[in-house]
Amino acid sequence: MTRVFVPLAALAALALATPARAQDSQFGLRGLGTPGRSESVRARSTGGAFAPFDAFSPLLEASVADVRRVSAGVTGGTSWRTLDFGSQSASLRASRFPAFMIAGPISRRFVVAGGFSTYLDKSFGITTRDTIDVRGTPEPVTDAVTSDGAVADLRIALAARVHRRLALGVSLHGLTGSTSVTAVRHFDDSSTYRTSTARDEIAYHGLGGSASALFDLTSVLRLAAWVRSDKHLRADIRGRTVADADLPFAYGGGVQWRPGTEAVLAASVAWRAWGASGLNAHDTFNWSLGTELGSAASPIRFGVRGGQLAFGPGPKAPTEFGISGGIGKQFSGGRGRLDFGLERLERKGTGLTERVWTFLLGFTVRP
Amino acid sequence: MTRRSIRLALLLALGACTEQTTAPGVCPDFCPGGQISVGDTIFTDVIHRDSAFSGYVEGFQGEALPVTDLPGVVDSRAIFRMNAMFTRVTNKAGDTTTYPITVDSARLRFDIVHRDTNATNLWVKLYRLPIDIDTTTTFAQLVPSFTDSVVDSVNLSALLSEPLIFDTATLRIWGDTIQTDSAGHILQVGNTDSTLILYVDLDTTQTRFVEADSGKVAFGVRVAGDSLASIALGSIDGGRAARIQWFFTYPDTAAAPKDSSALRAALFDSFVLNPPTPPLDSNLAVGGVPSARSLLRFTIPEVLRDSADVVRATLILVPVGPVPGAVGDSFEVVAHPVLADLSAKSPLGGFIAKHVIHVNDADTVRMEVTDLVRSWAQDTTAATALMLGQVPEASSYSQIRFYSTRAPAFRPALHVTYVRRYVFGSP
Repeated sequence: MTRVFVPLAALAALALATPARAQDSQFGLRGLGTPGRSESVRARSTGGAFAPFDAFSPLLEASVADVRRVSAGVTGGTSWRTLDFGSQSASLRASRFPAFMIAGPISRRFVVAGGFSTYLDKSFGITTRDTIDVRGTPEPVTDAVTSDGAVADLRIALAARVHRRLALGVSLHGLTGSTSVTAVRHFDDSSTYRTSTARDEIAYHGLGGSASALFDLTSVLRLAAWVRSDKHLRADIRGRTVADADLPFAYGGGVQWRPGTEAVLAASVAWRAWGASGLNAHDTFNWSLGTELGSAASPIRFGVRGGQLAFGPGPKAPTEFGISGGIGKQFSGGRGRLDFGLERLERKGTGLTERVWTFLLGFTVRP
Repeated sequence: MTRRSIRLALLLALGACTEQTTAPGVCPDFCPGGQISVGDTIFTDVIHRDSAFSGYVEGFQGEALPVTDLPGVVDSRAIFRMNAMFTRVTNKAGDTTTYPITVDSARLRFDIVHRDTNATNLWVKLYRLPIDIDTTTTFAQLVPSFTDSVVDSVNLSALLSEPLIFDTATLRIWGDTIQTDSAGHILQVGNTDSTLILYVDLDTTQTRFVEADSGKVAFGVRVAGDSLASIALGSIDGGRAARIQWFFTYPDTAAAPKDSSALRAALFDSFVLNPPTPPLDSNLAVGGVPSARSLLRFTIPEVLRDSADVVRATLILVPVGPVPGAVGDSFEVVAHPVLADLSAKSPLGGFIAKHVIHVNDADTVRMEVTDLVRSWAQDTTAATALMLGQVPEASSYSQIRFYSTRAPAFRPALHVTYVRRYVFGSP
């Protein structure tokens, strides 16, 4: 019991030490936020193509059907982001633990999994300079609006291998989280005008459900399909609902081909109907392609991804393109695994180009 | 992979948890949907139940004694009574036999703590007054003494133009440079400030040492000048009381006269003025003698409590008219928060705003009370009132009167600039 409990507790503590948030984006500022990626470091290093087939990527619940021992994984990352607005630019840095997952069998057939991942990142900080007219005199001011927090996707999943070739899974998603928000106006003439600070805490609540299937077409070819429906996301301030946004219906699929013992190729696609979620929202389509080469003990991974972002100004959705790579290393006879990844993203939309470097670190234990 | 390298990787990951998440906003596309907006309103109806009260500080409690002669405006005169003096001494330690002292002269010192540097031909005149002056003494009662009992006169303007004397003998005796005139008046400038210290030597005809009165003497001071005849003397309460040094002789053990001196400070000082400060009326009075204060009560609008953040608040007061007095003179009006509204006797906090009132000027007075109004907006239990007073009180004949809420067209008002509550929660 102790040998199982200690590593899992350490993982949970590590994951909870920092709010679960994904790499944010300025494109999400005028929308609900920046949707998180339901991907482990392994999946992320392959451009996301392995996410439907990776038990520690909280995208498909059917993929945990083959977890035969209690296992847990946590994903962490640090991103360096540059913003290019054309007339001005900025460099940002953030560290996140966007996903934590634990799974284990409850019977010979059924496996239960739980954990959290980032559903919407809502962390940002904006400063603007302006000169306003107060009492007939121009007064230079600096405004700062910050938001710190996220909406987490708390998932409880049940999966089963119902047939030698077929695994099914269902999940219930509880969307919850909060953001600490501040709006500060600072007057340059601070001896005459006091700084105004407004603070609040916004709580978010929502529900969703998903189902998925994995089907082995042959011994080397596996197919994945998933569907997810989320209800409204309610935003409350001190018990009063201030916003209620529609959440998307989403679906996707993937294919995994294992041509040899030390080579795996995968591709996946996903559609999400964010367009009804309010201002600056767009329906999205995303694709990814990736490979994992080498032994299971120390594989090397590459991937490429592309698609659209859910939020951004203008009638057209911003686009995203990224390449990624990484390595994994098993230790302690396969009871633990460290995954490292590096991702380069470029996001383009009306008036902004974002370039992101992300270093990823994943830790999985199978006590 | 070794255990050490795993720990190193985890440490590196945790070490990267420093964040820089603030970017310049490119609005409106890449800024939050909410706007920080400013409102600016002059609230004319938030002040109510305003009142003026008098009698806080009397003239004899003032930090300075105004001495002014402004025909048609005010005639203010300082008065002070010196402490009693011993009349007999012993000439040998341990001996109980006492001998009478024989006073042969005295030197009176008083500090001029305030004057108009533009005054011309400014005379300071010293008068002998009855020793029974006290807090009830009026201007009229002292008119005879101020008419026929002049003791000495000093042309302060002329004395100030005299050369500085700084020879070693002078420095040894006086401790600093002095200026003197042909009559022997001595003028020094204070070591730590610009106070003028005036020494006047008096013989026994000018200051009479009466044994029956225990050496108590009283003096009055007037000023005259071609213009701007207005000064203020230091007072007991200001820590700069007038002092007199008595020079006397007494017989030593060989019956030869032996010189000695003793210093006595004023035991009482005040000032009398004509005309006296007018009685209170429906306006808001601040200052004068005895000092008046005005209490203003506020009702903080709900919008400032619920939906706005006050960034600037200005109290607007309209004077009934210009404050009469010496051209170029001024005084300060300060606002104190009321800690508990007990009307005239309300306990006050430290002053939070002040405004310099220039004599003969009727400009609208604006006092910044931002911090006070901010605290009122946030603390619903606070007493929302403030008291206007003069600083220092009862040290000037000047009194300003503002229109009260009884004068709707000119009533006091509160000019508030505020930031409207930011709307969070929507993109």
